[in-house]
Amino acid sequence: MASISTSISLLQLQSLSPLTAISNSEKHRVFSDSIEFRTRLHFDLSRLKRCSTKSRWVFKVRAVGNSEENSNDRERVGGNGAEKRWTLDSGRIMGRLRGTVDAIPPVVFTMKKHIGKNFAIGLFITIAFLVIVVRQVLSRRTRYNQQGSVADLVKRGQLRSDRRGISSPLKYDDPFNNPLVKIGKSNSTIEMCGKLYRLSPVTLTKEQQSSHQKRRSRAYQWKRPTIFLKEGDPIPPDVDPDTVRWIPANHPFATTVNDIDEDLAQNNVYQKDGVPFRIRAEHEALQKKLEALQSQGQLELNPSSDHANTSKSDGSFESNAESEELKKP
Amino acid sequence: MSSLQLLSLKPHSSSYPFLSPPSIFSKTLKPKTHQPKNPKTHIVSVLQWNRKPQLSGPTPRVVVITSGKGGVGKTTTTANVGLSLARLGFSVVAIDADVGLRNLDLLLGLENRVNYTAVEVLAGDCRLDQALVRDKRWSNFELLCISKPRSKLPLGFGGKALIWLVDALKSRSDGRRPPDFVLIDCPAGIDAGFITAITPANEAVLVTTPDITALRDADRVTGLLECDGIKDIKMIVNRVRTDLIRGEDMMSVLDVQEMLGLALLGVIPEDSEVIRSTNRGYPLVLNKPPTLAGLAFEQAAWRLVEQDSMKAVMVEEEPKKGFFSFFGG
Repeated sequence: MASISTSISLLQLQSLSPLTAISNSEKHRVFSDSIEFRTRLHFDLSRLKRCSTKSRWVFKVRAVGNSEENSNDRERVGGNGAEKRWTLDSGRIMGRLRGTVDAIPPVVFTMKKHIGKNFAIGLFITIAFLVIVVRQVLSRRTRYNQQGSVADLVKRGQLRSDRRGISSPLKYDDPFNNPLVKIGKSNSTIEMCGKLYRLSPVTLTKEQQSSHQKRRSRAYQWKRPTIFLKEGDPIPPDVDPDTVRWIPANHPFATTVNDIDEDLAQNNVYQKDGVPFRIRAEHEALQKKLEALQSQGQLELNPSSDHANTSKSDGSFESNAESEELKKP
Repeated sequence: MSSLQLLSLKPHSSSYPFLSPPSIFSKTLKPKTHQPKNPKTHIVSVLQWNRKPQLSGPTPRVVVITSGKGGVGKTTTTANVGLSLARLGFSVVAIDADVGLRNLDLLLGLENRVNYTAVEVLAGDCRLDQALVRDKRWSNFELLCISKPRSKLPLGFGGKALIWLVDALKSRSDGRRPPDFVLIDCPAGIDAGFITAITPANEAVLVTTPDITALRDADRVTGLLECDGIKDIKMIVNRVRTDLIRGEDMMSVLDVQEMLGLALLGVIPEDSEVIRSTNRGYPLVLNKPPTLAGLAFEQAAWRLVEQDSMKAVMVEEEPKKGFFSFFGG
């Protein structure tokens, strides 16, 4: 800090040096300049005050010395005319130069000032960036924890995404104890989930209901279809045409074709234990086929063959059966 | 809380003339005024949670959940009401009868566990108990899908097949008690899938949204159900938005009831949690803390058990205005 202040004082000295050649006639101007300088210096000092007390002291000393110099210079002025003019011209030039230099803020001071500002701005940006990052991370975490979000679709395998998290399910256990429902003292209001509701009675009477039923029975005449036919099929003779439902041949969900016998289907529905019908039927069919193949193989084989041959032939039957099964669609 | 009705804040008049059969869709929505006569009964009809509901009617109760229009929340309702019933201690089998476009397994998070469907049971590839997927969260809840997404359902005995399935479930002997409830998730439209789904049902839950497109379809479907002999039809109004009702941009639940003339089983507010729960494969009713829509489904399930309907709906209370409200405070 001290080095900065000394460098500032040096700079100010340079700007003051031309004052030595200023004439008496221009005393006022010079003086006013110096005042101007002083005010500027004072302004700079006021800035420095904020930085440190030491620097202020240095500037005070500098300002006093300066004024003394000025007074000495004024005493010294008063030589011959040419010298006076030269000094005047040079004084003007130097004055302009000094003015220019004065107009420019001290380099080091400016640098210092900017460094301080930049540091503050940089710090602010860094903090802001950190806050944004932390906020993003937290919001992402809460998003993953949020119930019923898209993350649940991922969890259930409905959506494919590796980035999504997994949420834990909630369970509202007790339907007989609900703290969120409160009945008002007057019994005409109810508070639920923090909201107050007023009760308004329903006015629908039995007469009104029956009148609506009559209206509908007049408006809609309908018999539930009991037979489903493909469009274009002839209606069986003993069937009421009103109870026929026509199904388009290319209906996406419905078909009139029954692969299964009705009685059989009913039995299947009523079956309570044991192997399901089709599984058992398929198993039995396979069993029969195997037996048939085995008997056929036994016929082909020599009955006096040894045990090893028999076992070999059994293996071949099995493989044959398997291959046939594979061929079967 | 399904009574979580968020109605228009304007009062309703109980003296609204209902005597002539109203011609649907030609009516303007008129606000009416009601004053609750007996608030205590209203509370009971709207909110019940601190006791086990009493099962009413012969079991198994076969309930079809239908709407006519697609995308109104049939599958969401089936999943949530089904799991609510299981939580309340009842044995439930949910059948996804949406043949080509099944989604119930996804909503329940059981999609990876569906190996066999009803079509395989009919064909004799597996037994019925092997096709039932037990929910690990609530083991008294089971799912049965009708068919695999890319297979066609033979319609010759589609409806009959469902009746056989229900009968087989009634007399099951695999160490599990017969179900108290069989919920059938019906496909959209009134095509062959709809006919198949409604065949074994004794009662119906009509899901609708408060817009005229859904209401027209709902009215038509109600007419068809009544023609088919299903008289116990209740409705759930789904995706109710308070803000739109307040601005008179959406019909209130009482307006919907006036148009359809059906008893109210529940009112489900619009809730962003529905999408989240779908993503998670975790029905809303299991959410902790419970959401408004989840509570509404739970209460709807409660009423379904007791064969009850809503006697009062909940209206959002207007926020109290203070002294500074005049100044926008």
